[in-house]
This record gives sequence, C-alpha cells and structure tokens, in this order.
Amino acid sequence: MAIQIVMDRMGDTRHTFDAGDRIAVEKAKKRFMELTEAGFTAAVRTGPGEQRIIRSFDPSVEETLFHPRLVGG
Amino acid sequence: MMNSDTALATGMFALPMIAMALFLFVWCLMGLIAFYLSSRARHGKSRGAFELERNARGLMLLKNWLSPAQLRSYEKHEYFEVVGGDSGVIYRIHHGKQANVEQLDGLGASVCAWCFVPEGDLVPGDVMLAQKIGLETNERAALAVAVKYLTLRSQSRGTHARPLSLVS
Repeated sequence: MAIQIVMDRMGDTRHTFDAGDRIAVEKAKKRFMELTEAGFTAAVRTGPGEQRIIRSFDPSVEETLFHPRLVGG
Repeated sequence: MMNSDTALATGMFALPMIAMALFLFVWCLMGLIAFYLSSRARHGKSRGAFELERNARGLMLLKNWLSPAQLRSYEKHEYFEVVGGDSGVIYRIHHGKQANVEQLDGLGASVCAWCFVPEGDLVPGDVMLAQKIGLETNERAALAVAVKYLTLRSQSRGTHARPLSLVS
C-alpha cells in the first residue's frame, strides 16, 4: 500500500491507496495535483533523513509527504 | 368583612406560591449554571486531549523523517542540525514553531536566526519537518521568504527578537 501524508491542523491526514488499483491511483494522482496546485510541496524519502522534492505524481512512490507553502514568520 | 377574609385567604395562598416559585426559579438557575460549568470543563478537557494527540502525531511524523543523528540530537537537546542544500551552511532547528531556526558558523557559533513556517495552524513537529525539508532541498527558496533575526526568540530572555533589518 502506498500512502500520501498531508500536514494539517490535526497533525496530518493519511491517504492510503493500492498502487495496483487503477481507480485508487487516479484518485491519488488527482489529490497530488490538487495539493501541489494549492501550493503544497511534495517530498519523498530517499534514505534515512534524506528526501527529495517531486513535481509530478509517481504511483511507484510508497510514501509522499505534503507540506504547505513556506512563508516568512 | 367578606372582602378582608377573602384578601387574607388569598394572601395566605399566594405568599407560599410566590415563595415556591422563587425557590424553583433559583433552583433551576443554579442547575443551569452547574450544567454550563460542567460542559465547559468537559470541552476544555477534550480540547486538551485533542492538542496532545495532534502534537504527538506531528512529533511522530518528524521523528520518522529525521536521520538517526538528527533524531538523537532532537531527543537529547530538543534541536537538530541540517545542512543547507545550496550553500552547505549548517542550521540548527530548535523545537518550536516560530523564529526557531538558527544559522551557525563553521565553529558552531550562532550567526543569526530565521523565521519561516508552513502556512496554517500546524503543530511544532510539522513545522520543524517542513523547515528541514525546505533547507535541505531548496534552501534559497526557504530563505527567500524567511525573516532574519539577530537571535533566537528563546535567547532573547522573553522579549521578542527584532528582525535583523531593524537592528542597527
């Protein structure tokens, strides 16, 4: 099962989907597009403590983290 | 004579009724106040539990994304260090959600502090993780939106640190 983790005021919300389920993958892709268009950054882990930013949906990624746009405090 | 008897009888009947009505009114009022206070206490308790839960979720997420060294540092000191992806500069991210990023020099001394946070009402764990990802993957963009401070807020002894641009 793949997972999309979205930071929010609850801490985070997790959406799991089966990468082999076409409909679930489409839904996950739509969520990815909506979040990134809304300014969220999508990151995936590449190793312990390491990550990279992704700009397009990749159904083979097991875990994608979305954090809201960074702003000055 | 008749009228005074009637008035007396009416008074004897009406006074206890008025007293009883007053007693009922006060009793109901006290019940309502007690209900209001207990529901407020219940709401406060559930709100506290909600805050604890969301903070715990944020910290769990952060810890899952830290390197072993960063995790050890965070658990021991409540801060961890990241290397800026563009410059190689070292930043120390302290537990917190505002003006909690400290830039260090080559000897580990504090240079300045930065404030940049993800939008929305997020918990410290989420804020620190977004700061780590921002600095490690896109340092320039993170600092482009950040406000620079002379010191960390926690080091300014309770007063708000002033942005560096305002410090003469």
